[in-house]
Amino acid sequence: MKVKSAVKLGTVATFAAVILAACGSSSNSSSEASKQTLNWMEASALPSMDSATATDVVSGETLNNTGEGLLRFGKNSSVHPGVAKSYKVSKDGKTYTFNLRKSNWSNGDKVTAKDFVYAWQRTVNPKTASQYAYMYAPVKNANEIMTSKKPVSSLGVKAVGDYKVVVTLTQATDYFPSLAASPMFFPQNKTVVQKYGKKYATNAQNNVYNGPFKLTYWTGTSDNWTLSKNSKYWNAKNVKLKKINFKTMKDPQTSLSQYQSGKLDATYLSGQQPKNYKNDKQYVERKGASTFYIELNQRKDTMMKNKKARQALSLAINRKQFVDKVLADGSSQAKGLVSTGLMSYKGKDFNTASAVPEATSQDLTKAKKLWKEALKETGRSSYDLTLTADDTPAAKNTLEFVQSQWSKLDNIKVTNQSLPFKTRLSRSENGQFQAVVSGWGADYPDAISFLEMFTKTNSYNRGKWVNASYDKDIAAADGKDANNEAARWTDLVDAQKTLLKDQGVIPLYQQGRSQLVKSNVKGVIYFPTGANWDFSKAYIAK
Amino acid sequence: MADTAKLPADSFKPMSADDRAALDSEKIAAPSLTFMQDAWRRLKKNKGAWVSLILLALIFILAFGSAIASPHDPNQVHPEYANLPSKIPGIGINGFNGTLVQAGQRIDAYKQAGATGAHYLMGTDYLGRDLLSRVLYGTRISLIIALVATLFDLTIGVTYGIFSGWKGGRVDTFMQRVIEIILSIPNLVVIVLLILILKPGMLSIIIAIALTSWTNMARLVRAQTLEIKEQEYILAARTLGESSLKIAFKHLLPNLSSVIIINTMFTIPSAIFFEATLSYIGIGISSPQASLGTLLNDGQKNFQFLPYQMWWPALVLCIIMLAFNLLGDGLRDAFDPRTKE
Amino acid sequence: MAKYLAKRIFYLILTLFIVITVTFFLMKLLPGTPLTNQAKLSQSQIALIYKQYGLDKPEWQQYLLYLAGAVKGDFGTSFQFSDQPVSYLLSSRIGPSLQIGLQAMVVGVVLGILVGAIGAMRQNTWVDTTTTVVSILGISIPSFVLAVLLQYYLGLKAQLFPIAEWGGFIYTVLPTLALGATPLAESARFVRTEMVDVLSSDYIELAKAKGLSRMGVIYHHALRNSLIPLITIVGPLAVNIMTGSMVVENIFSIPGIGEQFVKSVLTNDYPTIMGLTIIYSFMLCVVLLFTDILYGIVDPRIRLTGKAN
Repeated sequence: MKVKSAVKLGTVATFAAVILAACGSSSNSSSEASKQTLNWMEASALPSMDSATATDVVSGETLNNTGEGLLRFGKNSSVHPGVAKSYKVSKDGKTYTFNLRKSNWSNGDKVTAKDFVYAWQRTVNPKTASQYAYMYAPVKNANEIMTSKKPVSSLGVKAVGDYKVVVTLTQATDYFPSLAASPMFFPQNKTVVQKYGKKYATNAQNNVYNGPFKLTYWTGTSDNWTLSKNSKYWNAKNVKLKKINFKTMKDPQTSLSQYQSGKLDATYLSGQQPKNYKNDKQYVERKGASTFYIELNQRKDTMMKNKKARQALSLAINRKQFVDKVLADGSSQAKGLVSTGLMSYKGKDFNTASAVPEATSQDLTKAKKLWKEALKETGRSSYDLTLTADDTPAAKNTLEFVQSQWSKLDNIKVTNQSLPFKTRLSRSENGQFQAVVSGWGADYPDAISFLEMFTKTNSYNRGKWVNASYDKDIAAADGKDANNEAARWTDLVDAQKTLLKDQGVIPLYQQGRSQLVKSNVKGVIYFPTGANWDFSKAYIAK
Repeated sequence: MADTAKLPADSFKPMSADDRAALDSEKIAAPSLTFMQDAWRRLKKNKGAWVSLILLALIFILAFGSAIASPHDPNQVHPEYANLPSKIPGIGINGFNGTLVQAGQRIDAYKQAGATGAHYLMGTDYLGRDLLSRVLYGTRISLIIALVATLFDLTIGVTYGIFSGWKGGRVDTFMQRVIEIILSIPNLVVIVLLILILKPGMLSIIIAIALTSWTNMARLVRAQTLEIKEQEYILAARTLGESSLKIAFKHLLPNLSSVIIINTMFTIPSAIFFEATLSYIGIGISSPQASLGTLLNDGQKNFQFLPYQMWWPALVLCIIMLAFNLLGDGLRDAFDPRTKE
Repeated sequence: MAKYLAKRIFYLILTLFIVITVTFFLMKLLPGTPLTNQAKLSQSQIALIYKQYGLDKPEWQQYLLYLAGAVKGDFGTSFQFSDQPVSYLLSSRIGPSLQIGLQAMVVGVVLGILVGAIGAMRQNTWVDTTTTVVSILGISIPSFVLAVLLQYYLGLKAQLFPIAEWGGFIYTVLPTLALGATPLAESARFVRTEMVDVLSSDYIELAKAKGLSRMGVIYHHALRNSLIPLITIVGPLAVNIMTGSMVVENIFSIPGIGEQFVKSVLTNDYPTIMGLTIIYSFMLCVVLLFTDILYGIVDPRIRLTGKAN
């Protein structure tokens, strides 16, 4: 009957599609080594390529591979020569003199000292409205320029001839070399920026590059973008990769499948995926420089002002179980507010030097006892607590876990609230919370990046925890001891000790990212702060 | 008169019981049935609908009963027992015996976690919570959302429809235009916007779904009202001076009931569906509350190595959807006089 | 007809106007700003950034400016892609969404008609039951579950189709199937019910009595008359596809507007959300208008007049 023939036709059509599909999806993974192409997964799209205004990690990462500053980040956030061959610091630590090498932009123009002066001035110029311009704060007059009190030309950076940059700082700043290596401090080619005006850096063509790679495909809004080797790069002979394809995968399940089928050479793992791949050869954990902690609102609430209550809440949490069993993604227990591995002095890690074990470990009996005392001291019979966090999967896990831990205390009722990121931020800022899970990532490898947040007036101190001796230590580290490494170290260590002993915040975990990377991908450099990735030495082995 | 025929006295005699029986046996009649009874009778004949009704009743009892007695506390966290697969005592089939494939090898997850004595019928989730309890709990939340949203939707939709149809004329035209405008805004977009403003949570989801889904009901009710309005009994009621409100409640509503019931059967599953989609987008019920949608979404993420975490909630959701749809179809047939045998 | 069209287009514009107005003021209720790290910025910097986005003016002025911009297709600047206008963001992403949507619609409806017709012709047999169950299953499985299953079994395990991304036609197969399931199920149910009705009507009996072949009857009379009302459900199906696309595009990493909508919701990128809401409403209005006109052309019983109803 005719119906049947119609059905048959349908099947034939499907089969045809299947065969076509089989042809289409056949990929040749054997010639990967000769192609030297890396397929890299990103969780979100590339929103901006203007080094003056970019704010997010994906932009930072791409910029770090298409551009180069005076210095360049290497493994563990160590700093190496970049466009500058060498540099000298004056005795008072306030003047840096950089000697540039002869190098070129991807369009053949020379990279000169003027390109740095132009880029830096453009970034701090209030008209540019750069949201990360505050990173320039150590540079002389930067703060005044940002608030329109001084002209842009007064910025503490000068070009002496074509190949010498002299930077003047307001005061000695230990971590300035790290800043000089960040994308925010990259040079910009004035002619190109002015030629494209508003359209500058809005797609792959309207831009020039002085880094190991150049952006060859990006529409400005596309989910995929491609970097190709920049033959004009001064160190091009040591760049082995010919191409890097960045692909945005928003669903973790999808990106894992893409990895398994060979369409990606690396994928980030999330949710329960890391647990399952923990013992795999291709599994890699990347320690981040971000810590997550709980802030308690100490504006009015007598219970939250009570030190014993805060300690009880901290002691009730089994952080080991949380990072090993619940998150299980390469994150580790927080040893303090500052991330472990960020800063060390004479071979000693900052967190080892400033450890206060009872502020970051579990002791349920003690927690119960302290909680009982706190209730008594504040004249309560019970306490209702709302814990707020973001609505990301990790934040939801945190909420559920911490709730279950706190509920083990007597006479407490814990309610959870998860909010979209920006809503959570605006509520934290306005003090509309009891307890909130916050996270902070270091902008540069120095403990001050974390610790300055909890001084009395800092706007990141959302819980309004106040401690005079803490404020004094931070002021000293930023002021009188700024050029005295040993004294500054002691100041910072003391500050974190004070914060932990008083349980100003409850540190939870230090974020880690886990990845699967194909074993033939070699030489990828990861560093925990800022731009994270450098592909200039990466290659595909046979 | 001579015409008067004289009949003998015994011409009329009372009927005997036998005679009556003989007469009754020839009568062609069924016990009189009300409309509802009739529909009920026909629904029972529809096997699919009948099974669906029983299944739904069972699911309701289990889901709501679990509020009183649940196998485990759905929010009790046991991180050490995380991600244990289904284990049903006495069944040795892979997938139900507590084993799962890890790094290419099938291992006994219960032994590995040191939980040899435990049985989780549907396994546990990433925090070691009993999935069966979570699914029951999630079903309850999903059903509550759907039922409350549908109730709102009914109230708004039916009132709007009756009013529009009954008034007719310019009022009707205007009200229909309003509906047309609402229909030309994609409802998920509206729901998302509403939830963003009302802050994610059960109540905002209910409100958002109710506010967007009543139009369909309003249109159907209006069409039916227009038809009924012209019927003679309504005319009679009007002539007798009944108030419009009384007519609406005494005459219109009972006659609209079939349309309303049928449409409800399709609104409930679509509300459950909406909630599930919202969960995927990330603005569904917030933890530790769960709905079928959030469970599915959590499961979906780990489908490759923990497939049971998606299969179980998916199964329950499918059964609920199937049952409501089949029941809806069955009711439509049962209420439709044209399908009378 | 011309009068009718004019009237419909007037309503279309009215609808869009209402959508713009309502979404604009709803968005103003939300806490989002283009600022990424408010706490580190000075007041004057914040003021400057606000000025760049035109947020320094009073709300009614912002509204009028937005309205004037929207007429010209300018929806402001995205918060997320700080250098890109929303209109560019959307226009560069709408192509894949339209393609997947149309394919899903065509595949879904055509297969749906087939399944529905087969069911109706074999009424009350196992064939009918099977097609009914299949069509109900189609509306019982959320598209994200179906998408995950298709991706895993057909993409990863069987390696028949690409798992994700956007390339050529072959990349559209799985998303089309995932998205087409609902239209398939809905139209199959619809066609079956309509056809069962039509098949039992007098004119079919007449046609049979005249000696027309079974296929002739079905093709010339039954199917045709059952399909006309199908046009009425195209509108609701279009809505369904828009909804589904948000999920399906996300899972298959398709650079479309549905994926962007989800992303914008999660990052509170309000200019983009507003732009997308307007685009979605516009597309739906156009679909509804077309189906109404088409219905008038196909079904001679319906006259398109300027009068309502």
